[in-house]
Amino acid sequence: MEENQIIERLEKIFSSVFGKESIVLTRTTSAGDIAEWNSLNHMILISEVETAFNLKFKLKELNKMQNVGDLIDLIISKSIV
Amino acid sequence: MEFNSILFVLFFSTFFFLYWFIFNKNLKKQNLLILAGSYFFYACSDWRLLSLLIISSFINYQLGKKIAATDDEKQKGLLTTLGVTFGVGLLFYFKYLNFFIDSFSKLIDSFGIHTSTHSLNIILPLGLSFYTFKTISYLLDVNSEKIKPTKDWVVFFNYVSFFPTMIAGPIDRASSFAPQLEKVRVFNYENATTGLRQILWGFFKKLVIADNCVEITNNLFDNYLKLPGSSLVLGAFIYIVEIYADFSGYSDMAIGFSRLIGFNVTKNFNFPFFSQNTSEFWRRWHISLTSWMTEYVYTPLTFAFRSWGKSGLLLAIVINFVLVGLWHGASLNFILFGFLHGCYFIPLVINGTVNKNPANTTDNFFSNLKRFINRSGTFILVMLTAMILRANSITEAFHYYIKIFSKSLFSIPVLPTQNPKSDLAIIFFIFIMFILEWFGRHTDFALEKLGLKWPKIIRWGIYMIFVLVIFIFMAKPQQFVYAQF
Repeated sequence: MEENQIIERLEKIFSSVFGKESIVLTRTTSAGDIAEWNSLNHMILISEVETAFNLKFKLKELNKMQNVGDLIDLIISKSIV
Repeated sequence: MEFNSILFVLFFSTFFFLYWFIFNKNLKKQNLLILAGSYFFYACSDWRLLSLLIISSFINYQLGKKIAATDDEKQKGLLTTLGVTFGVGLLFYFKYLNFFIDSFSKLIDSFGIHTSTHSLNIILPLGLSFYTFKTISYLLDVNSEKIKPTKDWVVFFNYVSFFPTMIAGPIDRASSFAPQLEKVRVFNYENATTGLRQILWGFFKKLVIADNCVEITNNLFDNYLKLPGSSLVLGAFIYIVEIYADFSGYSDMAIGFSRLIGFNVTKNFNFPFFSQNTSEFWRRWHISLTSWMTEYVYTPLTFAFRSWGKSGLLLAIVINFVLVGLWHGASLNFILFGFLHGCYFIPLVINGTVNKNPANTTDNFFSNLKRFINRSGTFILVMLTAMILRANSITEAFHYYIKIFSKSLFSIPVLPTQNPKSDLAIIFFIFIMFILEWFGRHTDFALEKLGLKWPKIIRWGIYMIFVLVIFIFMAKPQQFVYAQF
């Protein structure tokens, strides 16, 4: 799957979880850039991403994640495997 | 050794001189001096259990190195589990064993079976909860490769036992603290004077407010049966202020003394009484503990429950807060306190109103009113649960509530006091504290920027007034409430 397609799908998931009409994501977008992205709904977001891309993350992988770019890389690496 | 004792003044003065004037040229020696100072500081308070602190440091230092040295994920996990079990085991034995023995005995008794269990004579090592949390986070961070283990044992032993934060935190992480020990520290005048201001503010909160509030709340809650509900509300207000002034006052002193020797310690309080909901309150109260719990307890729990949606989230929050309660002490009161705070999140999660920053930032009459109502409501919720911590049992806490929610709530409150003038003065100082904290709420602590642009003479005049107030109004020293945790 192309990176652009992943970002598009992520934008839909982010908008749905955070209850916003639309969210524009870049590789550098992090929790600090979206007021609604906090520790309380982070895992709901992760769960939605897992369902949408049909994959499972490990906690250790999530702990290293700093921004959307890391999430995209993780999704790509999991999709290849 | 308390910060407000003569012994500490002598100790710190000597330490400060040696640190900046004798050992300042050699980092290794300076770090050894911190370690010697920390062990002396600990031994003055509790020399019997100093060996436990050293053993715990040694075991965790070795484990950290071994975890990083192996590439085998299973072995990494095993070593980390071993270290975490050791830390939790220490806490369980020293802090919770008697609670479980007593609870088990009462449970058996309630079935009509009389047992002859006895509580064990266990001394709670000073600062155990604080230094154990430091070692656990260190091992977990090494395991998850967030940090590399330090190769210098003096750095690690100092991280565990750093004397300014030894008794009651803040609970620093190795990722931010160890690098400060590894680099040369240069005396910074500005940082040192900020530290002095923070110590002054801490002393004011601890000695003038918290210690004086102890007498008022003791008189009030010991005689609550004779008092109207309105007095108990006043008592609850003074009690939550007492806990805050005690603990945040201690944290300010700890951070201030750390600044004086060139360390930046993590912030522990961010004006929690101005929070607009309980979620925000917990992001501002005892920050080093709540962020620790969020990272090492709440996040793994939400990860495990992530497929359950909001229900999983709520379950993780409630478990997390029950553990926060239990961290404070081994009693049902603490568990109930944590449980209620976990429950406070239910409407926030359901309504989706838990945001990092309060959304309403406009500045007009109605938004200001809304913020005032939110802040007052949050304060009242926290104040009412704090009473559970003051009560000797859950039954007594319920009696408090029955009293409060009775007709006598609407009567004029009375304080059972022998010294009404002194009590009025303390209430005035509480008012001053709230005012200064409100105007300083965008800084690290209330006095940080106060009057920095005013003429020196006025600013120094204000500091002198604080010093005078401390000497005139300081009460009989009370133990730091959080030192017992």
